[in-house]
Amino acid sequence: MKRNLLVAAAIAALAFAVERSFRLEDDPIRSLVMADPVAAALFDRYQERSPFRGRIFVESDGLSPAEQARLSEILARAGYREVPFLAAPDPARLLDLASQLPAGTVDRLAGEEALRARVAEILAVAALPGGGEALRQLEVDPLGVGPALLERFLGAGRGGEGGGAPPRVYESPRPLVYAEVEKVEEALAALSPRVHYIGADFFAVENYRAVRRDVLLCSTLTLLLTLGLFVWFTRRWVLLWLLGVGSLVSYLAGVLAIRVFYAEIFAVVLVYTSTFVSFNTESLVHLSGIEEGRRARTLVGIWSAIGTTLLGMAVMLLGRSVLLRQMSIASIAGLLSFLVFLVPYRRTVDGIRFRTVPLPGWTAPRWLPAALCGASAAGLLLVGPPRVETRIDAFRYQSAALGREVDHFSRRLDAASLGDVVAVPATGSPSEALRPLAAEGLLAWDDHPLARFQDPAAQEATLAALRARWDGARSLLAQITESEGVRLELPGSPPGRRLGEWEYLELLGEVGPLRWSDEAGGRRFVHAGLRRVPPDLAGRGLVPLGPRTHYDALLTDLSRQLGWLFLAGFAAMVAYLAWIQRDAVRILYVFAPVLAVALGFAAWSRLTGTPLTIVHFMGFSLVIAIAVDYTAVAVSTDHGEVELSKILLTGLSAVATFGVLMLARHPILRSLGATVVAGAVPSLAFALLVRLRRAPGEAA
Amino acid sequence: MIAVAAIAAVILAAAADPAPLTPEALRARHAGARSLTAEVVQVKEGRYWARPLTSHVRLRWTPGRVEWETLDPVPSTVVIEGDRVQVVSGGNARDLGAQARDPRFAALVRFLRALAAFDLPALEGDFVLAWGPREVVATPRPGSSLSLVRKVRLVFGDDLEVRRIELESPSETTRLEFQRVERVR
Repeated sequence: MKRNLLVAAAIAALAFAVERSFRLEDDPIRSLVMADPVAAALFDRYQERSPFRGRIFVESDGLSPAEQARLSEILARAGYREVPFLAAPDPARLLDLASQLPAGTVDRLAGEEALRARVAEILAVAALPGGGEALRQLEVDPLGVGPALLERFLGAGRGGEGGGAPPRVYESPRPLVYAEVEKVEEALAALSPRVHYIGADFFAVENYRAVRRDVLLCSTLTLLLTLGLFVWFTRRWVLLWLLGVGSLVSYLAGVLAIRVFYAEIFAVVLVYTSTFVSFNTESLVHLSGIEEGRRARTLVGIWSAIGTTLLGMAVMLLGRSVLLRQMSIASIAGLLSFLVFLVPYRRTVDGIRFRTVPLPGWTAPRWLPAALCGASAAGLLLVGPPRVETRIDAFRYQSAALGREVDHFSRRLDAASLGDVVAVPATGSPSEALRPLAAEGLLAWDDHPLARFQDPAAQEATLAALRARWDGARSLLAQITESEGVRLELPGSPPGRRLGEWEYLELLGEVGPLRWSDEAGGRRFVHAGLRRVPPDLAGRGLVPLGPRTHYDALLTDLSRQLGWLFLAGFAAMVAYLAWIQRDAVRILYVFAPVLAVALGFAAWSRLTGTPLTIVHFMGFSLVIAIAVDYTAVAVSTDHGEVELSKILLTGLSAVATFGVLMLARHPILRSLGATVVAGAVPSLAFALLVRLRRAPGEAA
Repeated sequence: MIAVAAIAAVILAAAADPAPLTPEALRARHAGARSLTAEVVQVKEGRYWARPLTSHVRLRWTPGRVEWETLDPVPSTVVIEGDRVQVVSGGNARDLGAQARDPRFAALVRFLRALAAFDLPALEGDFVLAWGPREVVATPRPGSSLSLVRKVRLVFGDDLEVRRIELESPSETTRLEFQRVERVR
């Protein structure tokens, strides 16, 4: 009674600490940060200037005014505020670009007809309530050089709009209320395809919805299946009680451990914690009812299993992915806290007995594990390394409707050559840096602002035209406006100066929506949109800046890194088992099915052309952490009937727990579940059915 | 007898009381409107005007479309339809194009559209509204792109129809007197 009260108090304290410190992050994409500080800085600064953050975009030109009004009302009710697509450019900085207008355009702007039309237009606008400020435009920029520059650089099909009317832009409310975003998304989806919409809010809400459903579904099914297995194998409610309460302790300790290192916990990690039941089942079942006569050998098996599981989880800690680190921290803390939780109940655990299940088995010759390992290794060499690639789509959930919107806006960005923007390192001028890419046909040169850069001679001609036409245009303008009762203080000299390519790109970045040049790590970069992304992006020194390319490259890099970590973890497990088992044949037996599974994955990947993703590698780490346990316990206990029954129970529990994840909506969880099940089932079957013949002279 | 007279006076006074100006009352008054036409006298004073500029204007509103027709002194028409702004002046019609996309101007257009439609949610998106007995004073929310407007005072009649609008912007004040307002439901 006293013991239970102490445990209850500890759980209450953990729950209180979790409740006080818990902060959830729904979009797993936010866990990704480039390791290279230069690449990370370039990407962050490009995205900072980007008009896409904290906003949603709605193309609603196809709606009637009444429909548009209804939609505006729904958006306003949800807290979305319409804002301009572009921030107002500083007129002085804009006019600094005057030398980039062709001289012919200057002549046209300074003509009497154009000047009269400009004054009439501005007076009409000034006649609107509050419109008088429009007259300031005439004062600052009598000829209308600014609007002509904007038309030249940001007009239809240029510099950020990608053709067609620009979408309406709405600033997202903060904090985001998912229920309100859901209403907005439903309204927009109902109007699709006449309306197109995009924004991080929709990804956040869809991921939140998917995770909420997955948590409920996976946890309920896992609980029911585990309950069924335990009732059938033990008929002892105390074991279930220990598993249930212990898993609650694992969950709380796992979440708190993450909170020690990170301010926010990714929602998908919370769903992953439902798999703790499987790890805990293994520990609990194998530690329960140990037969006195076989205690030493059983403990070797148990520590082999727990040690390899911890090693499998620990290797993920060495990776750079925050998401995987959080899963690893939660797993390690969850498993250790469960073992600590069992300490006060060790006598209860000792007294539990399991139903034994008679299993058919084949006693294999002692050379078989070596032959299997050798054949698998040779097969792996023959098949060759599979392609490793992770795309952003595999990393977060999006509904089919949102997927169609992503395609639509990707096409618009691609049309403006802004889908795959990269930073190109430059030692000389920006155009010299871009020339090789243009020569290869990778760069859409005509869409790059440098294609509209005027060379020094053309700039000189423009500045000369401005000087020549300035006084005449100024006098005419003053005469027209005074006759309309307007008084203006017109500038005495024309705007503009000669610009170099770098200064031109910097100015354009200041007045437009996108940055075209940057400096990081003491190097200069010019930004450019690519027609297609070359496979050797990093080898060319190109830094992806578009979210799609950036995250694809980042995830692929993380996948490769995790692949190496997986191999390192595998080597660590071999070393650990060599130390604890001290028998080469047993060690080969332990790893034989895992190597065969690895060969199966490599062959499947090569034959179907499916690349291995970061989730597969994470799954492999879990497969060796889980599957090695079955063979390690089986071979350590000489395939004892009770221990094999325990393996059957823990194996079925693991397959059920991870199999349930295959029903998840979130692609990370679905893929993780499938990988672990595909890897664990052959290992489980091998451990249950293939028994190692004793060495000559080995005691029974 | 005196008591009856007093009660009758109270009842009559209550009956004569105009409807109070509240967001709900204003919404109800303007709900279901299909069009609005008004004759407006506008007076502008400020830094750019050599003398107070008085103009006569015809305002026409239908859902999604606002026409601001200046009859004199310089005839011109500005048509706001969705995000499109067209200026008709001296027999020529021209879409404002790049200028209409200027964020400050786009914000002003959005404001005028919402004002003409009495679209309270849209106005509240950009402004903080202070409700008085017969007037509403709107000041732009902090961080609003409505830099061309500092304060708007809307004065309503007993019938909750707008009578006067005073608008302060950085370079001018505009006073609008509404005459012959016709609303079709």
